Amino acid sequence: MWETEGLQTLGIVVIVCASLKLLHLLGLISFSEDSVEDELELSAARHRPEALEQLEAQTRFSRKELQILYRGFKNECPSGVVNEDTFKEIYSQFFPQGDASTYAHFLFDAFDTDHNGSVSFEDFVMGLSILLRGTVQEKLNWAFNLYDINKDGYVTKEEMLDIIKSIYDMMGKCTYPTLKEETPRQHVEIFFQKMDKNRDGVVTIDEFIDCCQNDENIMKSMQLFENVI
Amino acid sequence: MAAGVAAWLPFARAAAIGWMPVASAPMPPPPRDKRRGQDGLIILNVSGTRFQTWLNTLERYPDTLLGSTERDFFFHEETNEYFFDRDPDIFRHILNFYRTGKLHYPRHECISAYDEELAFFGIIPEIIGDCCYEEYKDRRRENAERIQDDEENDNNKDMVLPDMSFRETMWRAFENPHTSTMALVFYYVTGFFIAVSVMANVVETVPCGSGPNRAKEVSCGERYALAFFCLDTACVMIFTVEYLLRLIAAPSRYKFVKSVMSIIDVVAIMPYYIGLVMTDNEDVSGAFVTLRVFRVFRIFKFSRHSAGLRILGYTLKSCASELGFLLFSLTMAIIIFATVMFYAEKGSTATKFTSIPAAFWYTIVTMTTLGYGDMVPKTIIGKVFGSICSLSGVLVIALPVPVIVSNFSRIYHQSQRAEKRRAQKKTRLARIHAAKSGGANAYLQYKRNGMLAEAEEEASKHAGQALVCKSNPTFETQHHHLLHCLEKTTNHEFVDEQTYETSCMEVSLAKPSMSRSSSMSSSPHGLSSCCTRRNKRKSFNVPNSNMVAGRRGSIQELSTIQIRERPMSNSRSSLNAKFEETVPLNSEEQSYITAAVISMPTPPVTTPEGGDSSSSHNFLQSNIVRVSAL
Repeated sequence: MWETEGLQTLGIVVIVCASLKLLHLLGLISFSEDSVEDELELSAARHRPEALEQLEAQTRFSRKELQILYRGFKNECPSGVVNEDTFKEIYSQFFPQGDASTYAHFLFDAFDTDHNGSVSFEDFVMGLSILLRGTVQEKLNWAFNLYDINKDGYVTKEEMLDIIKSIYDMMGKCTYPTLKEETPRQHVEIFFQKMDKNRDGVVTIDEFIDCCQNDENIMKSMQLFENVI
Repeated sequence: MAAGVAAWLPFARAAAIGWMPVASAPMPPPPRDKRRGQDGLIILNVSGTRFQTWLNTLERYPDTLLGSTERDFFFHEETNEYFFDRDPDIFRHILNFYRTGKLHYPRHECISAYDEELAFFGIIPEIIGDCCYEEYKDRRRENAERIQDDEENDNNKDMVLPDMSFRETMWRAFENPHTSTMALVFYYVTGFFIAVSVMANVVETVPCGSGPNRAKEVSCGERYALAFFCLDTACVMIFTVEYLLRLIAAPSRYKFVKSVMSIIDVVAIMPYYIGLVMTDNEDVSGAFVTLRVFRVFRIFKFSRHSAGLRILGYTLKSCASELGFLLFSLTMAIIIFATVMFYAEKGSTATKFTSIPAAFWYTIVTMTTLGYGDMVPKTIIGKVFGSICSLSGVLVIALPVPVIVSNFSRIYHQSQRAEKRRAQKKTRLARIHAAKSGGANAYLQYKRNGMLAEAEEEASKHAGQALVCKSNPTFETQHHHLLHCLEKTTNHEFVDEQTYETSCMEVSLAKPSMSRSSSMSSSPHGLSSCCTRRNKRKSFNVPNSNMVAGRRGSIQELSTIQIRERPMSNSRSSLNAKFEETVPLNSEEQSYITAAVISMPTPPVTTPEGGDSSSSHNFLQSNIVRVSAL
């Protein structure tokens, strides 16, 4: 006798629980407050550059050159801004044998002057204006800014090592003579011996500019890319 | 390297200023910029539709019609434009290729028209982007099959292959009944006899009315025993003959004996022979009767005649895991519900639910919504659980149908797609790799020529050589200058794979380092791999390193990987012969893929000797690399 009664109660409990679960599964009722997550649409950042006249005034490029530059820029980045991954990808295509991503990262930091994570056409063209049409002083400034990874005004040996390692990374594996482990470090030593006049372990902007201006090779090479556009 | 990023080359070069202070050696001088300010608009009139683009855009691919001097043949002086008498709709896609670097295949276009246009404009179809490549290959294959079909239909009547032995002819006749009239006759005769035999088996058991001297009804089989026996004998004889003929004609007897169809054949005719052997033994006659059940397997012989049956069988075989899981979950549900029902109905009097196994029958009948009504619950709780049981049964039983259907279509496409994917992946990897090494090797070649390139160009101009198209020198030389600067900065040089490996080997063997000149000659191939990359590309020859000796010109038309196209004959997806064999065939067939990489813009080929174009063509042919995909 108790069997049927007990079973009946048990059965009713089971049925109630099962139906609740089923309703919950079907989404008709909810126990906790977990609402359906809104699907945040990742809107692609869009950016339109300033007018041609303004850019012409701010940079040292002519109208035609700006047009050519913008066309190329927009072709690769239709949204108008470059983020770091696209930047790395583009740059890597020029150095197929090695890994250009680290150097591209440093470059990106150097171009992204307002540090907002993306390079707009203005940043791009400003940087290029310095590199291609600037005075030697400005170019050296830019190079120093590139080396100074944490932008504190001093280039330490570690920063330099990172930079030089990234440059060597671009060479890839198949080089002659074969790249050894200590090659970047040796290169850093040579650099510091040349640049660090007061032997304090860091290179300041003045030491850097001073030393470069006295080095004929460097001065000549700075003029190398004048007529790139 | 995609020509789309050519626009970013100035940026890359400007960024090289960052290397200058670090470099210890002086930089090489930059190349002279020729043709500056020549970036004008060019008008292409294609059957009346005018397209316009920058000249630079077209020059990105100098080995196509539009990018080379070949387009001058189409120049129309009166209107000062280039006129092409071709399809403007398809031309749109071709022009987009120049603009974006990606070639797309429009789905609504006819595949042969598209192929013709590509061939006209000198574009290799293998560079179609991944987004459209599968569709393109599909259509191409269909088209090829259609063409093959037409050819077969034409040749079918008088297909005489004298070099096929009798045995092979017979096998072909068995497998493909449409090849000859004899085979067709045989096919229909066996089909007829299978049907007759099955019908006889069925009619045998029908009650034929009582005979004159009998009280009860007898089946037709007993009444006309002799007639049925003769019919059975005839059928079995035909089947035996057929089986023996197939056995003789089979190219691989062992494989034939193992195949499903032959097992069915054997099982179909065995009962007769066993019955012949032991007719008079009463003890085993019971077993003999059971054996007659196997005669119904003759109906499976129809599967040779119907491809649909074969596909169904194959589908079930491959859905076995899903069906197995379904069966397992059903069994679980049955046991649960049977237990519950048993205990629920235990209290009621005169219940049919005498044990849990007895309740199995009720559960199965209820879950499949049959509901015979021979067992019904009487208590309230029993009825409640019974209704839950039938509701859940509906859900559970409805599950396998879409699974099997989707499996069917999945299997159908799977055999085609797996191979396509494999082919595509290898091609794509090979393409990417070739593109990379193409660019690198072009640079190495440029280095070897060194300063000669400029002088040669002057010489070739004077010689008036215009046979080989001049590629985009500005872009290439600038890029090479950039790489040269990098070398100078790091005081290391770019070398190709083999040189690297030889130097690698030497380092490990502690030999003195090789001189530069010897590193350029062809290095032995059988190097022990110290570089892991070597293993992946066993058959990929770096074209450059093999032809340095005695050739001053640089390479043109680099990096075409050409692989033979897969033989199409067995890939018919329609429902006649050979379905089950395509699937295993794909894995073991030697399939080669056809792909070619678009050539990189390379430094101009300098051929100061007259009439050298033929040798350059020969060189091009030897340049083709084979990558086999197995």
